[in-house]
Amino acid sequence: MLIFRRLLGFLQPYKRGVTWSFAFAFGAMGATVLIPYLTGRAIDAIRDHDHHGLWVWAIAIGAAGLARLGLSVFRRLVAGRVSLGVEVDLRNLLYARLQELELSFFDRQQTGQLMSRATVDLQAVRFFLGYGLIYIAQSLLSLLLAAVAMFALQPGLAALALAPLPFVVLIAFSYGRRSRPALQEVQQRIAELTAEAEENISGVRVVKAFAQEHRQLARFRGSVARVFDQAIYATKIQALYGPLISFLPNIGLALILFVGGRQVIHGTLTLGQFTAFYAYLLILISPMRTLGYMLSAAQRATASGARIFQVLDREPQITSPASAPELPPGHGHVKLSGVSLTFDGTRHPALSDIDLEVDAGQTVALVGAMGSGKTALVSLLPRLYDVTEGAVYIDGADVRSVDLVSLRHEIATVSDDPFLFSATVHENIAYARPDATREEVEDAARAAQADSFIRDLPQGYDTLIGERGLTLSGGQRQRIAIARAIAANPRILILDDATSSVDASTEQEIKLALRELMIARTTFVIAHRLSTIALADEIVVLEDGRISAQGSHDELLDSSPLYREIVEKGMPDQVFMTRKPHEARAVGL
Amino acid sequence: MNDIRRRMRQTGGRGRKLRGLIDLLRPYRWRVTAMFVSLVVATAAALAPAPLAKLAIDDGIRTHDVGALDLIVVAFLASAVIYVIASAVQTYLVGWVGQRALQDLRVQLFSHLQQLSIGFYSRNRAGVIISRLTNDVEALDQLVEDGIATLFQSGLTLIGVVVILFALDPHLALLTFLALPVLAVGAFVFRIASADAYRLTREKIASITGYLQESLSGIRVVRAFGQEPKHIARFAELNDENRAANMTTVNLNAAYFPAVEFLSALVTVEILVIGGIEAINGHTSTGVVFAFIAALNNFFDPIQNLSQLYTTYQSGMAALDKIFELLDEQPDLSDAEDALTLPHVRGELQLDHVSFRYGTDEAGEWALRDIDLAVPAGQTVALVGATGAGKSTFAKLVARFYDPTEGRVMIDGHDLRSVSAQSLRSQLGIVPQEGFLFSGTVRENIAFGRPSATDEEISAAARAVGAEHFIEALEDGYNTQVGERGIQLSAGQRQLLAFARALVADPRILLLDEATSNVDVHTESLIEQGMRRLVAGRTAIVIAHRLSTIRHAGRIVVLEHGQIVESGTHEELIEAEGRYWELYRDWAEQAAA
Repeated sequence: MLIFRRLLGFLQPYKRGVTWSFAFAFGAMGATVLIPYLTGRAIDAIRDHDHHGLWVWAIAIGAAGLARLGLSVFRRLVAGRVSLGVEVDLRNLLYARLQELELSFFDRQQTGQLMSRATVDLQAVRFFLGYGLIYIAQSLLSLLLAAVAMFALQPGLAALALAPLPFVVLIAFSYGRRSRPALQEVQQRIAELTAEAEENISGVRVVKAFAQEHRQLARFRGSVARVFDQAIYATKIQALYGPLISFLPNIGLALILFVGGRQVIHGTLTLGQFTAFYAYLLILISPMRTLGYMLSAAQRATASGARIFQVLDREPQITSPASAPELPPGHGHVKLSGVSLTFDGTRHPALSDIDLEVDAGQTVALVGAMGSGKTALVSLLPRLYDVTEGAVYIDGADVRSVDLVSLRHEIATVSDDPFLFSATVHENIAYARPDATREEVEDAARAAQADSFIRDLPQGYDTLIGERGLTLSGGQRQRIAIARAIAANPRILILDDATSSVDASTEQEIKLALRELMIARTTFVIAHRLSTIALADEIVVLEDGRISAQGSHDELLDSSPLYREIVEKGMPDQVFMTRKPHEARAVGL
Repeated sequence: MNDIRRRMRQTGGRGRKLRGLIDLLRPYRWRVTAMFVSLVVATAAALAPAPLAKLAIDDGIRTHDVGALDLIVVAFLASAVIYVIASAVQTYLVGWVGQRALQDLRVQLFSHLQQLSIGFYSRNRAGVIISRLTNDVEALDQLVEDGIATLFQSGLTLIGVVVILFALDPHLALLTFLALPVLAVGAFVFRIASADAYRLTREKIASITGYLQESLSGIRVVRAFGQEPKHIARFAELNDENRAANMTTVNLNAAYFPAVEFLSALVTVEILVIGGIEAINGHTSTGVVFAFIAALNNFFDPIQNLSQLYTTYQSGMAALDKIFELLDEQPDLSDAEDALTLPHVRGELQLDHVSFRYGTDEAGEWALRDIDLAVPAGQTVALVGATGAGKSTFAKLVARFYDPTEGRVMIDGHDLRSVSAQSLRSQLGIVPQEGFLFSGTVRENIAFGRPSATDEEISAAARAVGAEHFIEALEDGYNTQVGERGIQLSAGQRQLLAFARALVADPRILLLDEATSNVDVHTESLIEQGMRRLVAGRTAIVIAHRLSTIRHAGRIVVLEHGQIVESGTHEELIEAEGRYWELYRDWAEQAAA
């Protein structure tokens, strides 16, 4: 019920629209009720051979029809706008919330699940709020009016005829209670199915490579069967209750025939009254069905609403404090003091007790084994995650105390697996600064050694690059990601050994560009190779989430056995490709 | 006019779609038959009360025959009970048949998607493809669930009412049917106008799904650059476009359905006036006019229901269009009809004057040109060359992700086009650069290529590639959930799992796209050893980036602009002082720098 009330809250901005659509709906209903009455009068006129009366009533029917036409048109227009408005609002709200939620939320969620909330669930809510409510109100009003009319005619017979009504309500209620969780489970399983499909389509290359189509199909069949089973369960509930709900009014009709018929035979009821009674109860059947149907729509909307609220109610863990100041001006002085980080749901801390101070403009290389905490450490700077203990300061300000957007605008990351958006090359490079001119974008591309291959693309900078940038090679994606970071003009740069998948000579050029780029910025490099380490002023060796050594290359060779081991084993430094890369639209395997 | 013709064309192909639907239902013909029987019975039982009530009035109440009245009341109740039973059966069967047909359609779509080549997936956005499997099937769901029952109940009711009207007064009945041409023209215009509108709504919701999918996949980038507001704004735009598309359908419906209602009022007036004048003039009775008007309600209700259904039908058909479009997508690399099962191969690979270009454009650039190469079984070939030199394309042709434009690719003398893809790929191991993992446990992911692998085999493979350490350090070891639903592994860890996965599959021929950046310092030597274990005894094509890999290769093939410019061992090529030697010298200079 709480969910239901909250759903109603989304109609708040459309109060006027809702009021009008109710008004129009009731007006149209009035006209609909009026027409049979007028028809009755016309029949009377025919029986009385009243030509004039016949014409008057006929014209009145036409007028009522016309009024209903106008009212219905407006009702539909207004209700349609309200319903679509609610859908847009809810979806935008949901999306905005998703954009606010911290990364650890997405680490544990399937994209398909989230997507199904924004589409299937939303439409159920939209339908109900836009149309369902009006139908429910209309049905209830019809029921009320007909009941009043019947009691006015013959209270005893009315009580008898309406006796099955409470049972209808009871059964409808029980129907709703049973069908709601069943339908919710259907939605849940459809969401799982979507996730399954999504994963398969993303991983299609692996599936094909291992010739596992049949097994994936079997897995998908399993998901489909789960949807089927649940849908059938829901159908069974419907098959049990639906006919029962429409059966009950027939008992009322039979009672009227049985008791009312006898009353007519015994002369205590006129035939006309009897007919009217019968007609009123007939009028009740359709709203009763509508009510049943709409109740289940309400159930569905509530089920969907619950799933939407699950996301909406999740408070973002990482937000700017109220009226947070912008990141103070500076040149990128970074200090981590006593920092520990434990990811949700893991036991071992990813970082413990890190103390690190980096002067503005310095370049720090982070070295260490897989899982030693290099990536975790740099993800604390733009607050992708928040520290569990300690604090991170940039130019003297605790990152948790400043405006998040201003913070992230000053930090650019180039990861080892760059993600590009389905957009033009220009838009991808200008991602952080959408207002960048073509010239600025080209400058950034030139600095990242991407300009020449971009010019070779079919539409140059206006070439659309596909989902996940798949139509570009790894090296090309990498350079666009570097250009994107350069265009962002950040105070702090984070490189996740980003230069490693371009060929040797391009890498050399990129390194020169990076060196220039690094001059005015603080740079963190997650280094896998000696040549990258050579770029650094300071090397930090991480081991199991702790800083095990820190210093220059020569110092560390003396002081850190781990560093010496890494260097002696030979940093893999063998990216080996041709000197003049011929760029083409190669596709990663 | 042309516009209308175009729109009409677009709504065509209905026969095809109906046939498609019927095909879906064919396997369940007995249940479908039972469904129709229960539909007819339920409809008849639902129609029975009206004539029974009339009978009660005429033969019981008017004639003061209490016995007859009781009998009719019993019949009345009996019909209601029959209705309950038939309707329950019908609801169940419609649900069953509908859901089963949709289930089959989903599986059919999915299995068709599995057959489509990699080229298809490069051309189409994943979100849009997913939307076919979900949103469009949902739209059909509505059509099947609401549609079948409404169609037949309303259709039967309509026929019944027409018969009753004719029996009452053929003249008035014909007058009533005057409304039909108007209704037909209206429905036709509505149909043409709304076909486009409904198609557009499906496209818009698909693009919302696509955008959502992409921005959720790239959420890290969004966060890192603080670009949430931009995405929110763009999403809002898409949302507005979707609203605008839906608004068109709202407007069309708002014009159409009330108009049909108005028409029913007009017909009532028509019958009242004409029938009334006839009655006044004594040509017919008031009772007939009254009965006629009463029956008219039942004439327009089913028509209205059917036109309501038409909306569901429209969006269902639009969805079906898209679904069939997808099903019509021919797998461009389907097995030949007489495809052989590739026998257990030794792993001898031959490329016989192979040329290849992406797409069908004859003027397009060659990705590979006249590659002529024989690789004896068990040899490791390192492909060396710049980005775009054709290394990946080479590997893709061996995996038969594409067929060569000219020439042949052969394994043990079998042209790949003559063997079934299944038998080829089951002997092929592919390790892509990005280690894609499926939702499931570590164990399931390693056993992906050979689900029957035992625990020993799995841990042996993990040990061989050096993945054992980190796996055992995971919370649940081999039973740890990874992929989207589970924990996040680092790129290096994913790479190691991909190695183990390839090793368990125990392929004769291995295609390995060496990671350039994903592997960690500490694991680098592990991986190097793992890779050596992996290629030992197999024919291996390695897209090589690391000198150590290249040095150990049995043969180095240097590609440039899609052509082989040099081939031989490291020593031979250094000796020859050709392209490879230049590359090596450059590298040495740079490494020294």
